[in-house]
Amino acid sequence: MEQNIRKQADELYKRGLLVFNQPITKETLKLVTELWQEALKLYRKIGDESKAREIEKSLINLYKKKAIKMERKKEQGNNILTKFVNWGLFFKIGCLGFGGPMAVFSLLENELVQRRKILTDKDFLEGAVLGDILPGPVTMDIVTYTGYKLKKWSGAISSTLIFILPSFILMIILAMLYDKYKITPKIETIFECLGAAVTGLIVSVGLRLGEKEIKDYRGAGILIWAFISSLIFKFDILTVVGLAGIAGTLLYIRG
Amino acid sequence: MNILLKLSWVFLKIGTFSFGGGMVIIPLVERDVVMKYGWLTKREFIDAVTLGQITPGPVVISATFIGYKVYGILGAIVSTISVILPSFVMICLATQAIKKFHENKLLANFFRGARVAVIGMILQAGLSIGKSSLIDFKTIFIAGIALISLLKYKLNPIWILLGAGIVGLVS
Repeated sequence: MEQNIRKQADELYKRGLLVFNQPITKETLKLVTELWQEALKLYRKIGDESKAREIEKSLINLYKKKAIKMERKKEQGNNILTKFVNWGLFFKIGCLGFGGPMAVFSLLENELVQRRKILTDKDFLEGAVLGDILPGPVTMDIVTYTGYKLKKWSGAISSTLIFILPSFILMIILAMLYDKYKITPKIETIFECLGAAVTGLIVSVGLRLGEKEIKDYRGAGILIWAFISSLIFKFDILTVVGLAGIAGTLLYIRG
Repeated sequence: MNILLKLSWVFLKIGTFSFGGGMVIIPLVERDVVMKYGWLTKREFIDAVTLGQITPGPVVISATFIGYKVYGILGAIVSTISVILPSFVMICLATQAIKKFHENKLLANFFRGARVAVIGMILQAGLSIGKSSLIDFKTIFIAGIALISLLKYKLNPIWILLGAGIVGLVS
């Protein structure tokens, strides 16, 4: 009789362990808890205290995990404020991206990859590749790409619109002023200094990403080729990136 | 109404063919907007492009200006949405497709090569922007400070841009 119960309890515990090793979701957590609680009851019944304590420990760990998961869900979920802050990032960059596309590119890399860690280096560069291959300004393409990655179509729409809104409003104001007074603001000296700052910005982004991404001679070769072909032969972006992609396909074919 | 449709059509076309972004498409826009439809004079068009460079967004935002000149606020909205719509849809579909074929070895290798090329182009852009904007001691100084504070002290680049803008305003 006692042996049967012990066997049953062992069986329950093992089954729980199996489920526990699967990817953790709400359902698996619930199932494991039920199985182990049942096993605990049976061990108590036959008076095997050491086994019972062991299971209790596992259960406590399990509760902790559950709590963490719930908390994370709360963070992601209905909190309008965090949502607002997340999309606000695109508004901020949309407002402050003076100094041309490369300035915006650096700002995006800094916010998305380094600070908020929404994208990895690879994801970010993947977005840039898509932006280079497909039409449209690269910076806006990266914004759309990020939005889509986060929340599918609705994310893409909100991120893109929020990003473009500040420029849109500013442009309407400038157009109204232009209509009335036929003036355009004088900006040459500002842009000179901005250009210098952007040089520093973009070189730092290039170096940082290069350090992460270049892992062997093949990568270094493609990098140098891309650099030289756009500098000397003046190939356009689509050609450089497309050819590099094909080169990568061939070079890395053996892994 | 007719003019809105025309506006939308022109900018959808431009949005579809604006590969490589930015200045490449400007002759294309000029041909339609100035020569074919006569919506803007040549002088106004050049001003539109200049204003497009002032705003923090991409140069395609010049579409907003052109739309506004042609049909007021409504024209501005229509032309802006039209110019971003094609690339928007393509990016979303492409992102979806990449997710689906993520295990595909050939595609992964393609991106491996292309990613590196993007870095090469970034460095090249740095060089060419530097060549045209590092013209005196002041600008070289700004670029040097920007580079060091970013690489070593991880300063938020927004401060660097703001600082450089202020220096430019004052001097």
